[in-house]
Amino acid sequence: MTETGPDILTGEDAPVPPAPGPADGYQVRLDVFEGPLDLLLFLIRKKKIDIHDIPIAAITRDYLGYLERKTEINLDREAEFVFIAALLIYIKSQMLLPRETDLAESEDPRRVLVDRLVEYEKVRAACSLLREREDVQILQWKRDFIPPLHGESELEPVELSLFDLAESFFLMMNRRAADDTRIIRGRDVSYEVKMKELVTLLHERSVIDFLEYFEAHASLEEALIAFFCILELVKSRVAVAVQDELFQTIRVWLRKDARRTAAHD
Amino acid sequence: MTDDLKALVESLIFVSQEPVSLDRLQAVLEGVPEADIQAAVDALATDTAANGRGIHIVRAGGGWLFTTKPGHDREVRRLLQIERKNRLSSAGLETLAVIAYRQPITQSEISAIRGVDATGALKTLLDKKLIKIVGRKKAPGNPLVYRTSEEFLLYLGLDSLEGLPSEAEIAKILEEEKAVEG
Repeated sequence: MTETGPDILTGEDAPVPPAPGPADGYQVRLDVFEGPLDLLLFLIRKKKIDIHDIPIAAITRDYLGYLERKTEINLDREAEFVFIAALLIYIKSQMLLPRETDLAESEDPRRVLVDRLVEYEKVRAACSLLREREDVQILQWKRDFIPPLHGESELEPVELSLFDLAESFFLMMNRRAADDTRIIRGRDVSYEVKMKELVTLLHERSVIDFLEYFEAHASLEEALIAFFCILELVKSRVAVAVQDELFQTIRVWLRKDARRTAAHD
Repeated sequence: MTDDLKALVESLIFVSQEPVSLDRLQAVLEGVPEADIQAAVDALATDTAANGRGIHIVRAGGGWLFTTKPGHDREVRRLLQIERKNRLSSAGLETLAVIAYRQPITQSEISAIRGVDATGALKTLLDKKLIKIVGRKKAPGNPLVYRTSEEFLLYLGLDSLEGLPSEAEIAKILEEEKAVEG
């Protein structure tokens, strides 16, 4: 089908789009859709349209119709739906541009969208197969699902946020306040080297004492870099930082699975 | 293959917390030919699959492990006092599928395929240990790179990533869906 209508949204001989609202008799709420691509696929299938030859104007109109039905606004979700709406309108505008020669198939402005839809359709199909597997597997209990026996673990430590870590760090900084920061010492420490050193230490000692570790550093600069390394490790979930009680020192160790992967490497 | 070997293999699989691979069994059972071990496992699988047994051997994550039979789920949960095991949300499953097929992959690549932000889904999957961070991509912003974990294979009862639904199976599903609508 070629689309050469004068107006982006009415230039087509497609059947009248479903009027948004109860009159349609086919009420679907926006939040049942996983995302904008899901909604688009639904519309395309409902109209039994060939995914490789989408009448952009008709689909855009339907699509916008659904967007207008929203009952509440969730900015993040909204943006994703609007983004695809913009893409649809952009494609339509590209198709309206007069051209001297016919476009080759690979230059079809709809191509970007079609590729994404085809890809997404596959993901959805894979999901339905994986869901079947999940439904069977979830009924079969493996040994590791058995809850651990009580009484063997020590007291329950608190996992710390980065802010707690930072607080401890400032505590350490205060202890070092006596240092004369006007004198610049010459030793350069690189982040990479420090990171390696720290990971090796964690592997060797299994647990390190946060404050003790910093006290051992000669210069403030080196301590700072070490601190960033720890933050990075905690953030990327390689290490865990734990404080047994408030205002006590913080212990850092590698996560079990990280330890395993690291050992594999 | 002797009954002794079968019984031995059963013990080894029983005590192991992880799936036991053929390699592991071979390393433990020094000198026993691979074919014999394989036959023992097969015999054990047939035995345990029979009615009247509550635990069977399944192949997943590159090895064998014991699981309870699906029909006993309700009573097992009652014993463990677990209300129910939640399935993944559809956003979670979709994200997991994208990672499984496209790994290693970054968050923005996942979002591009799904058309939706993946932050929340990624966090859930990380918490459930179904995916893991394997490093950073050498690209602007050094984004984290994700892969599925060993736990993922066990979760879906897959022996390896090869066991994921194939392109052909996916195409078949799409055909069927179209046939239903047509």
